[in-house]
Amino acid sequence: MTLNKTMKLLLAGVAVTLSTSAAMAQTNLRVFVSSQHRPDVWRKAFDMYEAKNPNVKVTIETGGNTSEAQAQYLNTVMTAKDSSLDVMILDVIRPAQYAAAGWTVPFNDVLGDANAAMKRYLPAYAEANTVDGKVVALPAFADAMFLYYRKDLLEKHGVQPPQTWDELAAAAKKVTAAEKDANLQGLSFQGKAIEGAVCTFLLPYWSMGKQLVSDGKLSFDKDAAVKSLKLWKDFVDQGVAKKNIAEVATDDTRKEFQAGNVLFAVNWSYAWGQFQGGESAVKDKVGVVKLPAVQGGQPASCLGGWEWGVSAYSNNKTEAQKLVQYLSSPETSEFMAINASLLPQFPDVYTDQDVTKAVPWFASARPVVETAKARPVTPRYNEVSDIIRTTVNAVLAGQSTPEEGATQMEGRLRRVLR
Amino acid sequence: MATASETTLVRAHNESATKWWTRFLDPSERTLAVLLLLPTALLLSLIIVYPVCRLVWTSFQNLSLTSGAPATFAGIENYALMLEDPVFWETTWNTVLITLITVPGALLVGMALALMANLPFKRKWPVRLSLLIPWALPLAFAGLIFAWFFHSEYGVVNDVLRRLGFEGVIWFNSAKWAFAAICLTIIWKTSSFMALIILAGLQTIPRSLYEAAEVDGAGRLRQFFEITLPLLKPSIVVALIFRTITALQTFDIPFTMTRGGPGTSTATLAMYIHQNTVDFLDLGYGSALAVVMFALSMGVTAVYLRMIRAKG
Amino acid sequence: MSHETTTNRSLLSGKPLRILIGFILVVNGMFPALWILFTSLKTEAELTAKPITWLPHAPTMANYLRAFTDQPLLLFLFNSFMVAILSTALTLFISVLAAYALARLQIRGRDLILSAIIAVSTFPLVTLLVPLFEIMRALGLLNTWIALILPYTVLSLPVCTLILVSFFEGIPRDLENSAMIDGCTRLGALFKVVVPLAAPGVFTAGILAFVNSWDEFLLALSFNSNPMLRTLPVGITLYQGEFAFPWPVISAALVVGIVPVAVLIVIFQERVVSGLTSGGIKG
Repeated sequence: MTLNKTMKLLLAGVAVTLSTSAAMAQTNLRVFVSSQHRPDVWRKAFDMYEAKNPNVKVTIETGGNTSEAQAQYLNTVMTAKDSSLDVMILDVIRPAQYAAAGWTVPFNDVLGDANAAMKRYLPAYAEANTVDGKVVALPAFADAMFLYYRKDLLEKHGVQPPQTWDELAAAAKKVTAAEKDANLQGLSFQGKAIEGAVCTFLLPYWSMGKQLVSDGKLSFDKDAAVKSLKLWKDFVDQGVAKKNIAEVATDDTRKEFQAGNVLFAVNWSYAWGQFQGGESAVKDKVGVVKLPAVQGGQPASCLGGWEWGVSAYSNNKTEAQKLVQYLSSPETSEFMAINASLLPQFPDVYTDQDVTKAVPWFASARPVVETAKARPVTPRYNEVSDIIRTTVNAVLAGQSTPEEGATQMEGRLRRVLR
Repeated sequence: MATASETTLVRAHNESATKWWTRFLDPSERTLAVLLLLPTALLLSLIIVYPVCRLVWTSFQNLSLTSGAPATFAGIENYALMLEDPVFWETTWNTVLITLITVPGALLVGMALALMANLPFKRKWPVRLSLLIPWALPLAFAGLIFAWFFHSEYGVVNDVLRRLGFEGVIWFNSAKWAFAAICLTIIWKTSSFMALIILAGLQTIPRSLYEAAEVDGAGRLRQFFEITLPLLKPSIVVALIFRTITALQTFDIPFTMTRGGPGTSTATLAMYIHQNTVDFLDLGYGSALAVVMFALSMGVTAVYLRMIRAKG
Repeated sequence: MSHETTTNRSLLSGKPLRILIGFILVVNGMFPALWILFTSLKTEAELTAKPITWLPHAPTMANYLRAFTDQPLLLFLFNSFMVAILSTALTLFISVLAAYALARLQIRGRDLILSAIIAVSTFPLVTLLVPLFEIMRALGLLNTWIALILPYTVLSLPVCTLILVSFFEGIPRDLENSAMIDGCTRLGALFKVVVPLAAPGVFTAGILAFVNSWDEFLLALSFNSNPMLRTLPVGITLYQGEFAFPWPVISAALVVGIVPVAVLIVIFQERVVSGLTSGGIKG
């Protein structure tokens, strides 16, 4: 094993030396792919790349099945300055952190006109991957939070999909009162102290036109924060959301909606495929729209999606960047949309004929993705996230009031983002 | 290694004949001791001593990977920061509280289980298996399973409560109940090993002692307090100390059950260290926290060693 | 070291009461495992039905099929097993040597050495993750069984050494001496006479080491990213998706993970309990 690995490293080293002199020498690229995003389909994309570039061999590595587990693994690898990984896929919240730590190399030199290159993507992705004018990663695919609703129930009771959170509360009360089903909840969202709870907090906060961070500085609006926390807590107190919402994680929302026990659900794009699956009790009864706004505000969604970064410790940075440019191209995006149902990071791909044929609902997804905002782009995002999610969780559990929560949040955020 | 040293070892044979001081000076005895302890020393140096030294060194540095700045010497800054960090105090307090609750809890439950398991059952294997399974179940599995048990809607605990006519509790919605659920889980997981050790002790107590006590007219309760308990003391002490050290390191069960929530009300010091190092990449501060935790464990170990020595 | 398994005159000894107590013991120990077994036979729809069901209404083996096909579960088992066995063997070998030195040889600062071994091991491995990773990388051991075997050995070394010291101290020196007079070397006597006599202690130490390795999660996750080298606790988490948490399939995998240990325990239960009984754990 050890010998084998040493040999590989040696070979890789030799390959680098040779490739500078002789172009046809073999380059081995190790790519970290998140195992929850169809590594089998990515493999096909890599095969196509290998076919076009016979001097490159791509090996896939995976580790952990959740964004959090993968981050823990990658953090350990990068902290140790390990050179075995060349390319890694990163959750949209991480490129800024990895760039600040000096773990990734910027793409500016290979992109030519970086601004023009980034303009091709959905604007939120250009923002999320640019730190101080440096393009630190290139988008792999998009994601956003959607409002799923029970088309059949809304039609039955003559209710339109809500435009504001108040309308949503009214609609939920009306439908649940009429249905008289004790198991039917009005709204399900994420109240557990997970990453989803950060989005929970930010949705109404953003909708009020406020930013958490601007130009790397904290721009915390306490009133908006109190209102946001209060909005969710009121849903619980008014019986629109259920009492144990503080233990609800993303997939609990999905399961309960899928079992037919939820009228409105806030969730990521993956839920759609599950709702329309064979085991679903709500197949063909689901509608999807953009998330509601606060009264008088703009609709806002939480930007998800993953990005490709090139490791600063890679011995094959040039080849790795070439591979990433291929992976982050409209062609690959289209291929992944059709074969893995991953949302495209390019606006045009949503309306591509082959894509709309394979995944018709992407047509309704595009306007939602366009309202999506990036969570704070900061190297200390993990701390920011922890502060927000634990506060949201504590407020929903009734441990602290929205006012106390906002005060604590502000105090802790000030210490992190001076 | 063995063959090379054998020739020198032969000389050490008639040790009972030689006086202690010649033995003490006998190089082969010392060489042998060194050789025998060498693997342990090497392994501990590699896996513990060297990393700990690096950790202590790092704890005096400003080293946060997210800042992008190179490490600088910080003196005791990280330790000073700790004093005014409310989360440090909260997680430390939670750790101490978990230790104070689950160690005696596991002892009492373990004692009860051991006394029950010591009854003359016809078939002994189901009883033994019931004590061994919780012990052999990985901590992370136990956390997962009990998180499911305590789920407010689909959990079996609330189902039983409801069947008994109580209202279900939303366990992970309140600091107190979440803490209780975690402590119950830890006690369940650790009491069985405690029971095994106590059971082992119980079975070494000669029957004749009880017979004699019965002749003296001592009741069963008195027998328990005057014979059983004193004779069990040595094994209980050791079990307690080992349990205390592992309780101070509590990580897996709250990590899998609550992630420290609601808020940070069930987070432990080990979780906070892990979070600072692996999630926040603040290696300097994380290392300082780890050093504090090491000091806590060392304190308990010192007590332990004193007790062992006192025992003879 | 008496094996006389006397039963103390317990506080309670009526027969129906005894059955009740046996029942309580079994429920306490087995219920979680049984519950996982039931869960593994349910469909996801049944799992989220209200009110919840206890016994599966329509038992299905589909979850087991998925547990074995979604991930290479047998491979996880094999890796866990090999890592645990090898680290147990290494732990026993090293701690037998150390324990013999500490129990039999005149060593200056014996107590100090023993204290050091224990003290050093109270350091929580969680906090050493990053430096350990660097060491393993420097030694080229990442993605090998050895990367796990070494720290797991350290995990169990102190407790095993303690147990063995007390066992070795209980073995009369005469037996060893006569073996040496018969031409055995000192190390020969150790492995031919002392270790067999201390078998219950060695066995107890072995079981402790095995269970410690079998349980470990964090290092296994961090050091071995190669899918071919994953151990069971890490493997179990792979059934979980970014958002999805398929309880029935995870339960099936858990059951598969619990069964081998349960079988080991059923086979060896008498020896485990008697090993502990022999006073080894008393330190």
